[in-house]
Amino acid sequence: MDKILCSVATRGRYFTTLPLVLNAIINQTRLPDKLIIFDDNDEPKDMRNEMLYQYFFQMLDIKGVKWEWLFAEKKGQHHIHQMANSMDFEWVWRVDDDAIPEPNVLESLALFIAPNVGAIGGAILTPPLLPTNTSTGHIANIDSENNIQWNFISTVKEVEHLHCSFLYRAGVYDFNLGLSRKAFREETLFTHGLFLKGYKLFVAPNANTWHFRNPEGGIRSEIKEEMFWHDEQIFRNTLNLSDRTIVVLNSGLGDHIVFSKILPEIKNPELFTCYPEVVPGRSIAEAQRLFGDIEPWNIYKKMDSWKWKDSLESAYRKLYL
Amino acid sequence: MIIISPYSKALRNGKQNPKNYPYWRELIAQIKEPIIQIGIEGEEQLTPDFRKNLPIADLKALLRECRTWISCDSFFQHLAWSEGKPGISLWSVSDPLIFGHPQNINLLKSRKYLRENQFLWWELVEYNADAFVPPEVVLKNV
Repeated sequence: MDKILCSVATRGRYFTTLPLVLNAIINQTRLPDKLIIFDDNDEPKDMRNEMLYQYFFQMLDIKGVKWEWLFAEKKGQHHIHQMANSMDFEWVWRVDDDAIPEPNVLESLALFIAPNVGAIGGAILTPPLLPTNTSTGHIANIDSENNIQWNFISTVKEVEHLHCSFLYRAGVYDFNLGLSRKAFREETLFTHGLFLKGYKLFVAPNANTWHFRNPEGGIRSEIKEEMFWHDEQIFRNTLNLSDRTIVVLNSGLGDHIVFSKILPEIKNPELFTCYPEVVPGRSIAEAQRLFGDIEPWNIYKKMDSWKWKDSLESAYRKLYL
Repeated sequence: MIIISPYSKALRNGKQNPKNYPYWRELIAQIKEPIIQIGIEGEEQLTPDFRKNLPIADLKALLRECRTWISCDSFFQHLAWSEGKPGISLWSVSDPLIFGHPQNINLLKSRKYLRENQFLWWELVEYNADAFVPPEVVLKNV
């Protein structure tokens, strides 16, 4: 069975919604293999000294769920999610620290795990619930319709992006680390990236998570307006090129030459390169400006994370084809 | 005519690039045909005919003319492969199965010298002349 990591990023909610979330995770009908709490508090505490948390840890131990409490680097939740994304689990179930899943959520989402599936989300219910009868889940309608996850989901449906909390295939697409600490749109960029990579995204019925949007604390607290616009610009730039295969070659001349062999096979490429005489394209600085983060295209970092043993040409194939 | 491409890109910390072959002078002395060295300004001249900073198109033209070539692990072995001209690549700590091309003769002394992480910055790797094959081995393949 595929191993599932449950990741919870938390800030300022030690004694409000976080305990509810942990309790809900511990009482899932399908338990994750491991739970990691990423503590993003400015003054983190050792929760092993808190009686309430001792109960949680005890229950996890007895139920055989490994757990870890990690102190995050305070760079924003996209960095936390990328850590979870690269921890060698096949799947990650991300749960917000104020989003309380009903007991069957993970089991219902995991039913849809398949080789061609990238992510599965359920209903994310924030009262008062908004109508979603006509919502499509298509990225082109993101500004004109309520998110399909904002109400109960009656039937399984293919979508193009997901929101808030979902189960995703780990290690195949990166979170954009160029976003601000607010990381606005991070989950939309991430899930739509999985979709563009050819994986199916589903919304599934009977997987309800109550998202109370606790006004206190939260991973996105204490942020500024300009961060929103910074992230929104990256989101729009990415969306504007969503019909293209983005290629960023921020590497040596030899790498460009090897890459040029696979270029004819890439569908509708949008190229950013260092050696335009070998692979014509726009500048790397422009890629950095448009997307904020160009590390997802760093072939050496990819080969390292893939523990690569095959040829460089094959690595480019894996990244771009 | 044989092309040699002796040097890989200079490192930012000024240290010798671990990919640079240490026995070029001994090897060149034993080659009995014209040699053209290609490279960039600032690299040590090893042959009377040293052509610096050639554009890619000129390098391709030279490749068409040469009998074969000898190169360290640099862009040149990729360019020659791309042009369908087989030659000799000299390896030390980088893995020819990843960064080389089977169409070339890839001379690696031993896989025991390969660096553990193939994808780290070169600045973090110490130079080791022992990791290269001696000139006689290269000469046999020329």
